Amino acid sequence: MPIDARTAGSTVLAGLARPAVRGLLKRRVLSFFLDWAIWGYVAFAVMYFLNHYWYTWIPGHWYDTLTLPAWGWPVTVLATLELAIVCRNSGWSLGMRAFGLRLVPMHGDRITLPRRVARVVLWHASVPLAFMGFWFSPEHPWHDRFAGVALRPTRRLRGAGAGLDDLPDDEGRPEKRVLLTQWGWMSLFLLVLTFWLGWLITEANLSALASRASKAGDLFRQIARPDFRYFLHEDPIFVLRRGTYSILDLMVLTLYMTLLSTVLGTAVAFPLSFLGARNIMGFNAVGLLIYTLVRGFFNVFRAIETLLWATVFAVWVGWGSPFAGILALTIHTVAALGKLFSEQVEGIDAGPVEAARASGASFLQVIRYAVIPQVMPAFWAFTLYRWDINVRMSTVIALVGAGGVGTLLFYYKNEGQWSIVGAVVIAIIAVVWIMDYLSGWLRERIIR
Amino acid sequence: MATAPEHLEIERLTKVYERGQVVALKDLSFGVKKGEFLVVIGLSGSGKSTLLRCINRLIEPTSGSIRLDGVEVTRLPAARMRRARRGMGMVFQHFNLVKRSTVMTNVLTGRLGYTPTWRSMAGWFSKSDREMAMRNLERVGLVEKAYVRADELSGGQQQRVGIARALMQQPQLLLVDEPVSALDPATSNSIMQYFEQVNREDGVTVLTSLHFLSLARRFGTRILALKDGEAVFDGLPTQIDNVRFKEIYGEDAEEVEVR
Repeated sequence: MPIDARTAGSTVLAGLARPAVRGLLKRRVLSFFLDWAIWGYVAFAVMYFLNHYWYTWIPGHWYDTLTLPAWGWPVTVLATLELAIVCRNSGWSLGMRAFGLRLVPMHGDRITLPRRVARVVLWHASVPLAFMGFWFSPEHPWHDRFAGVALRPTRRLRGAGAGLDDLPDDEGRPEKRVLLTQWGWMSLFLLVLTFWLGWLITEANLSALASRASKAGDLFRQIARPDFRYFLHEDPIFVLRRGTYSILDLMVLTLYMTLLSTVLGTAVAFPLSFLGARNIMGFNAVGLLIYTLVRGFFNVFRAIETLLWATVFAVWVGWGSPFAGILALTIHTVAALGKLFSEQVEGIDAGPVEAARASGASFLQVIRYAVIPQVMPAFWAFTLYRWDINVRMSTVIALVGAGGVGTLLFYYKNEGQWSIVGAVVIAIIAVVWIMDYLSGWLRERIIR
Repeated sequence: MATAPEHLEIERLTKVYERGQVVALKDLSFGVKKGEFLVVIGLSGSGKSTLLRCINRLIEPTSGSIRLDGVEVTRLPAARMRRARRGMGMVFQHFNLVKRSTVMTNVLTGRLGYTPTWRSMAGWFSKSDREMAMRNLERVGLVEKAYVRADELSGGQQQRVGIARALMQQPQLLLVDEPVSALDPATSNSIMQYFEQVNREDGVTVLTSLHFLSLARRFGTRILALKDGEAVFDGLPTQIDNVRFKEIYGEDAEEVEVR
């Protein structure tokens, strides 16, 4: 059997000294566990389906008899392992594709079925024996070598210098249609499985949508006859922080609230976004640290919903105070816009940056003359869009006491006065619509 | 007779890209005299761009020394490096203009190294800088386009803006990276003539990489050929015959004429 002289004699220590071999082993192990985990997921799904359908379809006198025997767990573990191994030998498995590995023949141009079967058998003989095969030649373990195949990085990875170049790769072989490859139909299978499983787990129920439609119908009928009596005139019964308000009053207040928070948020997000862009900061350790911190800040503060911030600030500065809303919206605006801005900065053409640096420009000058002109249109677009989001968001955060027109929405909802709710909703829709139109018009004007 | 001191002296310059351990430049040594028009030729990936960018340290060299008028460039701290860059204008293959900015703003960008940061933040350039920008635009024949957006210009015009921007630095040395490979042959020739003019009239040393040997022969006073990061030829344009050509570009290469 012709084996490359460089690799045949290497032991695990000699092999591990080579980064390419280390990389290969890492990919090998990770792809193996991914394949195993995929079948584990399938096993979980099967158990869930068994359980679910046992109790919904199986006749009553069989009830209560579905239990996993004590040997069930080891059997599941072994069965998934076997399935993973068979998958990895019968084609290009999903795990192998995900980590950029492929089985290549050591001689001849394709791997025959007997060789694939041999590899399955040999795997059982060599790997569980304390990884004997790997111990003597990490890039040519026994079960590969005696089956006449090798696991090698794919062409794409080879280009990046990650590969071992001792064997011809799959170059020249025509690409199969995706759904004819093993990873292709496996992905489709997992997708279908996940959707089916998700449908059961989330208790999606189409019949409830139909059978309970009449209850919703009443509500819609009332909302559809909006009552505008408090649009201009204050409702004497509704008191918020010792004041009475009409819908229009609070609408105007909401607009200012969102305007302030958008402007404030943008003002903070703008400078931060450059610190959170890898192509600007990623040149030394300090820069990377700042980048990581800023990005971390964006992610943490964005992950916490505006609703939570509003709750905190409503307690802090007073229930129903628009200032609470401004603070909550500002924080979320900073985090969300900061991330969007940063990504925009990361997507710029590096050419002008290079040119500015070549002319001796300082860090700030590079940003001012090479980065900002490139990102300005997107920044404007995002900011206007954010204002739009803030208007819609402000109605919701009123639920936890952050002020604004949403307060009325939830007040009348709780009172059961659905026709006034209808009026408020129409007012909100009108404002959002006008804002959308305005921001579109502004975008066209400002951004060329 | 003592030889004239080298304007730019490069010694054992090596650049290794960490990812994939690619060696772009291997122990490269050569000198450039004041007023020379040195053309660097070689295949794609032979290290031409890396060499040019190492000289003004847009790319940090791995080892070796680069001396500009006796000053060791590779060890300059950031602030002094920025000052050193002012003397080295650079022109790029893809022009590297800010497309949304006006031609004027792009040209003034070349003056950033001379402008205090606080003043440039507000976009204020001195009157003399603006006049200088106009003069340079006049020189490349684009005065009437001064307040047009850069992306409204043709490729050749954009490269002329790039040249005007580099001239704003009042450079001693012009680093030119494949200035014409994105342009058509006729435009290429006229662009190269601007470099020739700058070289002859202002005495600016020009260091340019070129794809086409015919252009290199016509404009260069000296040619340096790179292959896999090593110099395989260094001499007069007339010395490159068919054998040398095959050495530089490989056995299968055919010379293409660009006029």
